[in-house]
Amino acid sequence: MIFRKLKELIRKEILVLLRDRQTIPVLFIMPVALIFFLSLALQGVYADKFTGHQILLVLENATHAPKAVKLEEKISSSKLIQRVQRPDGYDNYMLFEYGKAQAVIFIPEGFDDGAKPVEVEFDPVLDAGYKVAVRSLITGLTAEVVMGIDDIETMASNFIVEKTKKNRNFPSPLQQSVPGWSIFAMFFIAIPMSIGFLREKNAGTLQRLFTYPVSASLVILGKLIPYYLVNLVQFVLMLIVGVYIMPHVINLPFNMGEHPWYLIPITVVVAAASTGFGVLVASLARTPEQASTIAATGAVLMGVFGGIMVPYVVMPLVMKKLAMISPMYWAHQAYLDVFLRDASFGFILPKIIILTLFALGCFYIAGRKVRWM
Amino acid sequence: MKALEISGINFSYNQPVDKSGIAGNEYALRDFSMSVESSQFHALLGPNGAGKTTLMRLITGQLRGYAGEINICGYKNINNEALNLIGYAPQPISVYTTLTAMENLRIFGVMAGLSDKLIKERSAEVLAETGLLSYAQKHVSTYSGGMLRRLNLAVALLHSPQLLLLDEPTVGVDPQSRHHIYELLKKMNTTGVAVVLCTHIMDEAQRLCSRVTLLDKGSVIFSGDMNEIDNLEKFFLERTGRGLRDEN
Repeated sequence: MIFRKLKELIRKEILVLLRDRQTIPVLFIMPVALIFFLSLALQGVYADKFTGHQILLVLENATHAPKAVKLEEKISSSKLIQRVQRPDGYDNYMLFEYGKAQAVIFIPEGFDDGAKPVEVEFDPVLDAGYKVAVRSLITGLTAEVVMGIDDIETMASNFIVEKTKKNRNFPSPLQQSVPGWSIFAMFFIAIPMSIGFLREKNAGTLQRLFTYPVSASLVILGKLIPYYLVNLVQFVLMLIVGVYIMPHVINLPFNMGEHPWYLIPITVVVAAASTGFGVLVASLARTPEQASTIAATGAVLMGVFGGIMVPYVVMPLVMKKLAMISPMYWAHQAYLDVFLRDASFGFILPKIIILTLFALGCFYIAGRKVRWM
Repeated sequence: MKALEISGINFSYNQPVDKSGIAGNEYALRDFSMSVESSQFHALLGPNGAGKTTLMRLITGQLRGYAGEINICGYKNINNEALNLIGYAPQPISVYTTLTAMENLRIFGVMAGLSDKLIKERSAEVLAETGLLSYAQKHVSTYSGGMLRRLNLAVALLHSPQLLLLDEPTVGVDPQSRHHIYELLKKMNTTGVAVVLCTHIMDEAQRLCSRVTLLDKGSVIFSGDMNEIDNLEKFFLERTGRGLRDEN
């Protein structure tokens, strides 16, 4: 009998959820759109810097001395830059303002003698990463020319060996977006969940259920389970989009890592944490409008702090520390452990425990705060 | 047999009331007693904030932490047997508006422990009785105010209760729907169902009910036969005063 009542409560909740025209777009279409557009946008942030986007460079040589010519040749042959000519009448400001160049290098007369240094000027709005990369290139090439070394990288390899696994610690746009926006969408379940709870409370149907032989815990389960299941479906759908559809759109593979089965325990606790957040909002808010605002603001803030909106890897140190207060951070890092780092379960377990504690904390506070009448 | 027997109820929203009934000054119900015989049509009257809805919520198990006793057809409240004997139509129309009437009735039928077969049979019966059978598969959001009131009542009747608690069942409906609801309630009453009617429509109460309990500030100020009262509205105002009562 209890199971039949629970089944009916779940069925009712799913029917109500599916007939709410705003719910499906929020829960399913929004994250797909975010994955699609932000993967494209982030492709610039990651791929430009790390997979060979060329900086537009005006290179001017005021001397025909051997070292200056040699340096000009070396810079011109670098894959990091694309040499462009300065249009007539353009000063450096105009070059940058009209996007004709992003950097200007001037080799002055007297460079060969060591009397004058190479001058470098960047577009002031150029990303710091590009500046560092170009500056490092010019420094290395100038050192080669001045010191008469053919290839400074080869010489340095005797002293420095990089052991980093290629592309294994830095998420590709897809690896950032798919788990990130899936988590974000999962936490957005708090909006329909809390609004649904308050609407039912305000309409009196929740109270009416209690006039029948039905326990409060059964009613709560009947409300929780459908949203929990929706969370699981959300993640599976987003993963399918990430693995099978997005690689064809942005031409980047989605690496599932060596232990994709670890996604199951992670997703189970992430769904618990997000439904816990929804229950907490439902118990704290007094009106559907309040619930909507609290849930949306809470999810966005958690996304900002948790490395969903701004990738964790590009955050300053202070923000990286602050990120740890967001459950989305732990969820995202747990997924990245699987997708990027091929981490062992023991490495992921603390994140699972933190998410479980977050969920339990939410349920506990909600249980204390909830007003049924 | 008594369908409802309430004795010495004390209840406060602010703090739990213990067995001795000692609480703060703000009682929602104080030393409240009433009884309703089977087949009786009983009016529960009082100004706004008198405690009528609180009493209904206590009887139906929505509120707990009271001192005193409530018995439903011999069963001490609150237990499942007692709850299954009550049919409650709350003042707010408490149905799921995005679902159909049949879907609504199915949910509450399952909660009342009815079998699938019985839910189908009884749903058809109560929808026919409330004049909603041809709208059974339509979303409730498309219903008029009168139809919603009748569906609210149909849900309360679904599991064939012995005690019907109606909190302002005709508020906001047109005369046609009100007439339909009155006729249905009279018919229910003749089959042995006890009806407790909360209403502000004095004419409605005087015409339908044989007994009356007048409640004010959480206490009974009159209980007796309706035929003892000549003009209920005048009687009501004499007993409860003419000053405005604004709920807070």
